Amino acid sequence: MAKKRVLTTRTVRNLEGSLFMAPWLLGFIMFLGFPLVFSVYMSFNTLKILPNKMKYNFVGLKYYHEILFGSSALYDELIPYFQEVIFMVPVIVIFALLIAIFLNQKLPGRLVFRALFFLPVIFSTGAVLQGFMSQGEGGLGFIQGDAINGFMDTYLADSSWGKPVKAVLENFVMVLWYSGVQILIFLAGRQTIPVSAYESARIDGASPWEVFWKITLPAMSPFILLNLIYTVVDMFTFPSNPVINLINSDNYGYSSALAWIYFIIILVFLGIIMLIYSRVNRGSSRRR
Amino acid sequence: MIPRIITMKNKFFIRHGLRSVRYSLLGRELDRGLVFKLLLYTIFISTSYIYLNPVLKMLVRMVMNDKDLIDPTVTWVPSSLYLGHISAAWDVLRYPSSLTISIIVALTASVFHCIACGFAGYAFARLDFPFKKVIFFLLLLSFIIPPQVIILPTILMYKKLGIMTHLITLILPSIFGFGVKGALFVFIYRQFFMTQPKELEEAAKIDGATAIKFYLKVMFPLAKPAILVVFLFSFVWTWNDTYFPRMFLTGAKDVPLSMEMLRMGSRIDAFIKDGGMAEYMAEPIRMAASFLTVLPPLLIYLFAQRYFVESVERTGLVE
Repeated sequence: MAKKRVLTTRTVRNLEGSLFMAPWLLGFIMFLGFPLVFSVYMSFNTLKILPNKMKYNFVGLKYYHEILFGSSALYDELIPYFQEVIFMVPVIVIFALLIAIFLNQKLPGRLVFRALFFLPVIFSTGAVLQGFMSQGEGGLGFIQGDAINGFMDTYLADSSWGKPVKAVLENFVMVLWYSGVQILIFLAGRQTIPVSAYESARIDGASPWEVFWKITLPAMSPFILLNLIYTVVDMFTFPSNPVINLINSDNYGYSSALAWIYFIIILVFLGIIMLIYSRVNRGSSRRR
Repeated sequence: MIPRIITMKNKFFIRHGLRSVRYSLLGRELDRGLVFKLLLYTIFISTSYIYLNPVLKMLVRMVMNDKDLIDPTVTWVPSSLYLGHISAAWDVLRYPSSLTISIIVALTASVFHCIACGFAGYAFARLDFPFKKVIFFLLLLSFIIPPQVIILPTILMYKKLGIMTHLITLILPSIFGFGVKGALFVFIYRQFFMTQPKELEEAAKIDGATAIKFYLKVMFPLAKPAILVVFLFSFVWTWNDTYFPRMFLTGAKDVPLSMEMLRMGSRIDAFIKDGGMAEYMAEPIRMAASFLTVLPPLLIYLFAQRYFVESVERTGLVE
């Protein structure tokens, strides 16, 4: 009797937990698990939608082959966008870090600035951003000046890396607008560094510059990683992302294959970020 | 003798005065002085200007009449307030109906997010269940999967269910804690519940309360900061989302504001191409439409931002 009782409490706990998780798991199967598996399946098939049913024809790797070797979608649209992302992600994260550190100073009126810097999150809907971009309002203003334009034309010209740099600069403000959440994360992260660490550094005679590199930055490194990942994920729905238009219901098989290639590139991105992060972190901890 | 004392006194005062001037300008330490503060304010004001320049332009252009728009001397201050563009955008967007739809969709989705993600977040933070690690990995996975990968099968599923072009397509995933950035909300709840003291549960266990009862009576009401953050994020992101409506609601009659804006944009583009309207005339209407679209979440943010920033710090969003 006693043994049974112990077993039941454990089972009851597990049951309770499962009960809490059940809706989410059901949702996962319905809105992620099933679509994920199904899109793999679709990417190997041609899909014809007949009035009463759907007809699949197995074509193997045909679509992947087509995208990788015979189409412009990947090389003319996706790859340039990823080149832009390579520039956008560090810009956003560094900007957010600097603004968060500045906002953390005890200044009168910092609450107003804090509210201002978060503001774009509220109105950065794809439609509004597209409006701004098409109007050329996203630029910095002085970039359009002749001197800089001429400089850019001579040095960057039409090299494969010049165009993405230019595209990022043309929409620089819009890129900065994607840093609202990151600023918030950094601000909250900054609160986790104990005040005593700064006080003792002061007493030891460290200058604010040294304090930034030796205390603030190492303590913020997990949040930098978090923000890097968040930013990459956030770029999925950046209005100039070509994938939004490339994946449509004209050709299910082709689109699914393209979506998977896109996802794999994203995974490579995240993998590189993790790798760099662990390298840098290990290096700095050895130095310490 | 006497003059010497005076000069010494003077010297003392001068030195003292200099030091106090130096302290107030540069501060006893580098980041305490007036100069540093001025520098910070300059940085803040100039970056906020760059940051908000497009919005300010939007607000100004929107109320300019046609004459001001082509007049190169008028950049910031319009000669008169002209509300024609706003009323035009109001009509084109079919504002009353699309606003109602947007509010209904965003509100229900965010309420469902608050409830569903709360359960999952609490389970991840505090409860035991089989395969917890695997399921946590699934949560991470659902955070990094681009919506583009799963959109087509979802469309097929909705077609089979016969609810394509229906607004419920936007709400249904949020009932289970999915939809726009659902995984992130589960994380926020999880982080919040992990910062709560364990003693609460132990006390409840001694009293013999079941987990569900305890969660509903104690933990969920405690989670007000997390609820506020999730609600606001979910509301705003669902409101702003153009991707899901565009994929699910193609050809639907009643669509939310963000979708209506996209449609308006392509209609105007077509109109300009046909020569029916000059580009400079279309711009203020677009701006007015943008303004009308973002106004409601903006008002909510203005009201809630104080609590909001505090809540983000209290949720322990990042630990």
